[in-house]
Amino acid sequence: MRRPVYIAASGLLCARGGSPEAVAASLWNGEHGSEVRRVGDREFPYFALPLSEPSWLKRAEQAVCHVTTQLGALPVEIPLFVASSSFQIGHYEQRGEPYAVSVANAAFSRQLAAWMQLSGPLASISNACISGFSAMEAARSLIASGRLDEAVIIGIELSNQVTLAGFSAMELLSPTASRPFDARRDGLVLGEAVAAVRLSATPSPWRITGLRTGLDAYSTTGPDPEGGPIAQVMADCLNEAQISASNIELIKVQAAGSPGTDLAEANALHQIFGKKPPALLSLKSAIGHTLGASGIAELVALLACLEADQIPATAGFQQTDPKIGAISPVDRNNCHIKRALLNLIGFGGGLASMIIERS
Amino acid sequence: MAYLNLPISQHFATGELPAAVRAALGKPLRRAAAINQLAVVGALAAVPECRRQLSTALLWQSTGGPRSETQTLLREVCAGSGEAMPYDFLAIQPAIAAPQIQGFLPGLQSASYFPMDNEATAQWALVLNLALNLLDEGRYAQILCAHLELTPEFAEGHWLNLSQTPLENSVIRLQLTKHQASEVLPNTPDFPRQLNYWLARTATGTLNLQSPLAYQQALEFTRR
Repeated sequence: MRRPVYIAASGLLCARGGSPEAVAASLWNGEHGSEVRRVGDREFPYFALPLSEPSWLKRAEQAVCHVTTQLGALPVEIPLFVASSSFQIGHYEQRGEPYAVSVANAAFSRQLAAWMQLSGPLASISNACISGFSAMEAARSLIASGRLDEAVIIGIELSNQVTLAGFSAMELLSPTASRPFDARRDGLVLGEAVAAVRLSATPSPWRITGLRTGLDAYSTTGPDPEGGPIAQVMADCLNEAQISASNIELIKVQAAGSPGTDLAEANALHQIFGKKPPALLSLKSAIGHTLGASGIAELVALLACLEADQIPATAGFQQTDPKIGAISPVDRNNCHIKRALLNLIGFGGGLASMIIERS
Repeated sequence: MAYLNLPISQHFATGELPAAVRAALGKPLRRAAAINQLAVVGALAAVPECRRQLSTALLWQSTGGPRSETQTLLREVCAGSGEAMPYDFLAIQPAIAAPQIQGFLPGLQSASYFPMDNEATAQWALVLNLALNLLDEGRYAQILCAHLELTPEFAEGHWLNLSQTPLENSVIRLQLTKHQASEVLPNTPDFPRQLNYWLARTATGTLNLQSPLAYQQALEFTRR
């Protein structure tokens, strides 16, 4: 048994707003302001949620409940998949010494399910930056094969100092701004997000026609600069969707402004789409790289842009990089997109591509 | 339907893990977190040399994951200078196990990590359902499913290797069923060990793995 899987509902809270529609409007208006966070003696821009609650746990509850409401009424037994790379580490930080870490890595997922008032099967997935698509791949597989009829997948990444310090230590952060595919790019900017989708076998306006994950073992912290493994995952995804590259009208790229990863993705795009790829859009320079939540947050934001026929410009892009060639994000426009591809490239070699299509 | 080799369970006193790595690889695995070392040792034990080039997916789970490394990093960042050491940050990233394994298992093409939300149960029903789907779709030649655990005292790994075609030494057939077998094993971290105990005491028959009702069908293991 293999049946289509649809995106039946979505919810989003990120630096650009408190609903998919608000985020799409903010992106269309070109908003990309951020806050500043300190690591040791250094300061970095950071895309924080618009929530002032000082308690990490209460703030998390507010964010999760806010996004859950956007999904509409949920059956209490609906299966829940949680995608995150840091789970409740910010809570441990706030509690302080002795930094008692739960015996179960993802104990926070149970708290999430309780806040969402869900008591069905619960699973957690942590695959660094591709966690969201990995969770969607698992849920979609079970729905497509008839094991489940629907599921909620939530991506959550909330402020914590450990992640900021870690990315800073790896010299991955820009001290100024995220500039995807730009010649002046010098690193990514982190952010927070809570985002969710409800997947279902019942027809809805958007269908997932391809979803593939892969592995690039070139290095533990960055992809093969030639982009071969990234291209392979995109090719696998196109094969699954049974379409050719020319059928893709828009690509939501991973590009976060990282010198090496942007180059690798651009080289992969050349391999699959030739000299003239379809319209390209990066969202990370406006909402931040939200790590384990990024897949779902960017999917939900993109769907809202597509529903409004408002494709925003990519914040931070000004100057083409000759090393990247004829790869540059699209100007803001009102094209009616029927089919889009989304890429994720993660820490630890995780790769993922998804194709969504209007039903 | 899938076929399984004999389930593998490994148990090392924490101090023995580096020696186990050297024995398996012929050299130490430098700059790898303990749980990643356990993953490499287990993956090599679970996949015969002649099958290491075959397309493979890894679905692995852990209750604590890199727990002590997380505590170390929290102290370093929050009670120290505010900065992190790069290796200490990498040590709390379970995703990094996959590229480290691929160095010894070239066919590894995809990996997903499922952290547990409680100590009593595991996600074997989920990962085995996913493994069956991946094999049915012909995406991989074999799927490795594992539960890895580290405590201050010991390191433990439980592994199942599933493939769509029976191997010479396949001992179990796995399929979905709507029928309830007389014997049901709970979805606990050491399920592969319990499966081995079952194999040791029964010559024939079937066994179910306890699965969420929402999955609609049960996982049925049959001795070949």
